[in-house]
Amino acid sequence: MKKVIVILLLAALGFYLGTTFFNIGFGDPHFANGVKDFYLKETVDNLHVSNTVTSIVVNFRGFDTLGEVTVLFLAVTALGSILYKRRHEVGTRSVLFSSSSVVTAGSKLLFPAVILLGVYVFVHGHLSPGGGFQGGVIIATGFLLMLLSYENYSVSHKWLSIVESLAGIVFAGVGLLGFINGGTFLQNFLPTGVLNNLFSGGVIPIIYIAVGFKVAAELTGVIYTVLHEKGVK
Amino acid sequence: MVGTPVLFVAIPLLAAFLIPLLGMIWKELVRIVPGLVLMYLMVLSINLLNHVLVSGPIVEVIAGWAPPFGINLVFSAFSGFLVTLMIFLGLVVWLYSYRFKRNVGFEPAKKYFLLLMMLITGAVGIVLTGDIFNMFVFIEITGISGYGLTAFYTGRDSAEASFKYLMLGSIASTLLLLAIMILYSQLGTLNMAEIASKIHTVNPTYKVISLILFISALGIEAEIFPLNGWAPDAYAEAPGPVGAAFAGIVVKASVYAIIRYIFTIFDISGAYSFLIIIGMMTLIIAETAAIRQDKLKRMLAYSSIGQMGLVLVAFGFGTEEGVFAALFLMLNHAIIKSLLFLSGSYLVYNSKDKKIVEVNGMHKFLPITSFLFALGAFAIVGLPPFAGFWSKLSVLTAAADSHMLFVLALVLIVSVIELVYYLRVVNRIYFFKKGENVDPKKPTFNALLAMIVLGALILVIGFYPDVITGVIHKASADLMDKTKYINDVLSIKQ
Repeated sequence: MKKVIVILLLAALGFYLGTTFFNIGFGDPHFANGVKDFYLKETVDNLHVSNTVTSIVVNFRGFDTLGEVTVLFLAVTALGSILYKRRHEVGTRSVLFSSSSVVTAGSKLLFPAVILLGVYVFVHGHLSPGGGFQGGVIIATGFLLMLLSYENYSVSHKWLSIVESLAGIVFAGVGLLGFINGGTFLQNFLPTGVLNNLFSGGVIPIIYIAVGFKVAAELTGVIYTVLHEKGVK
Repeated sequence: MVGTPVLFVAIPLLAAFLIPLLGMIWKELVRIVPGLVLMYLMVLSINLLNHVLVSGPIVEVIAGWAPPFGINLVFSAFSGFLVTLMIFLGLVVWLYSYRFKRNVGFEPAKKYFLLLMMLITGAVGIVLTGDIFNMFVFIEITGISGYGLTAFYTGRDSAEASFKYLMLGSIASTLLLLAIMILYSQLGTLNMAEIASKIHTVNPTYKVISLILFISALGIEAEIFPLNGWAPDAYAEAPGPVGAAFAGIVVKASVYAIIRYIFTIFDISGAYSFLIIIGMMTLIIAETAAIRQDKLKRMLAYSSIGQMGLVLVAFGFGTEEGVFAALFLMLNHAIIKSLLFLSGSYLVYNSKDKKIVEVNGMHKFLPITSFLFALGAFAIVGLPPFAGFWSKLSVLTAAADSHMLFVLALVLIVSVIELVYYLRVVNRIYFFKKGENVDPKKPTFNALLAMIVLGALILVIGFYPDVITGVIHKASADLMDKTKYINDVLSIKQ
């Protein structure tokens, strides 16, 4: 009986919310004077960045991105502290069978290519689709591949944490430099260069590269912690 | 001026990223640095608050884009008051846990201090920001630090409590995001001031749905009645100082967010009566639940939930007097409930079940801790001449002036219940014989110092409420003046 009531309530709620969202009509032009036109114009005219998504994520709303990077950092820290005392009882790894020779041979070949792709994606974040988060995730998948294929493959936790911290410091530090130089936190203080060049966009590529390193180090750390289910010792 | 509001977020973030590196140099630094950061922020917030009380709010833009295009922070009398309070409590909690009661290894200690500092930063960010999506990010930061801290003792029960909190917190984030989406789809902006100035053009259906989603999401963190299932477990299983930080910091930030949405952003007048109704429900149900608890921390947790209900009721009056009472209550609750959690955590320290019966006769072994707990208990139920008396009195006068005599009567009845269960504990501490298998633990020096600071503050506010009421009056006037908030933010040009 209780379950039926809950299901009915959820159905009513879902229907109500569903119709609301359906009626909003996402994708239709709603507003003449929102912030969108300003963003599109300033990105090209002032920041000299060809990827508007990047300019919004890193510059206009860079403060949110700094927060999101911190969220990831905290999630990794919290995960590490929860799994700290756990010791796996069967073996050191939760993977119980070894991978075939095709996987081990292939992953050696693929690993550098995956890393290169990841680096390309975050270095060109201000020019083409992609950016720090995406590039970082691609790099972490490279490490996941290696961890899956080689049972004794290990990543130094110390170095991961150093890379993670340094990348974070670069992000916050660039923000503070803008505060010292230009007047507000995260404000661009470097020359913006020529549109569509690799060296353009002021601080945007620097921040995105730092985000790329940070995300890569953090996600690799998560994979490593969960796979081994024991903390550093 | 010594600094700007953005430093409240930037400095702790920089420190958080530095701590893992500093820990490699000298292990003690992971304990010291968060304290130094909090001390600096304390000085900064007092300076800024003094400045703001005299010469009006500071609106700071980030990345050089004026509102509504960029994100902005608002340090006004209202937000500044809450920020100062939160950072002060953060400092006290840091001092209390500087040397842990238990032996804790270096790695967990590092993570504890890092998460604690980010918990405070997240809460401060929620209060300072002037952008609804930015607030969502800070709520995430606070939440994730909270889940990690709840599970600090890596036991079965604390993992369960943390998991419960995590599940409800994730639902809260989802609902919040949906609410933000609806508002953005209607107005094309995320800036609070701009939304507030345009909200009257929005179709009422969307307005109401969006507000409902906001309140249900934030209500989870603010421990409003049907949504507070995580709270008693989390308080009971988390370390004592973390419980104090939840009650004093996280919940305050969430209540701030609800109030900001109802008072400033939305223009739905029915929301005020809604606040009174859910506040009363929370108050009555939590206090009646508290009297049935046999574990000390759970009892304190339910009492904390009840107090937040009372705060919502006071806000729900919608008058400046009501806001004043609510803010005064928030201040007192933050100080007193923190003291109760900190001292209570020592009273039941070595017992296995943390039961109330195990505090019997503790006053002989822990005289100062017991005294401070009793002081806190008397203050929170509102006995004169302690701090809690003045805030409860102002709630009652605000209720009387708004002609809500029914509310007034219920609050008085609930106060009696509160009196019963707190005096029951104090009675056990002072007039019962100590159980045989309980082995009390002497508090560390830093913990004692932290508790004495809070106890002294209760007496100071109790005897000289004037030292603080001036600030609270200005803060409540600041919250009520919606037009001024909108003008202050939107008058900044590119």
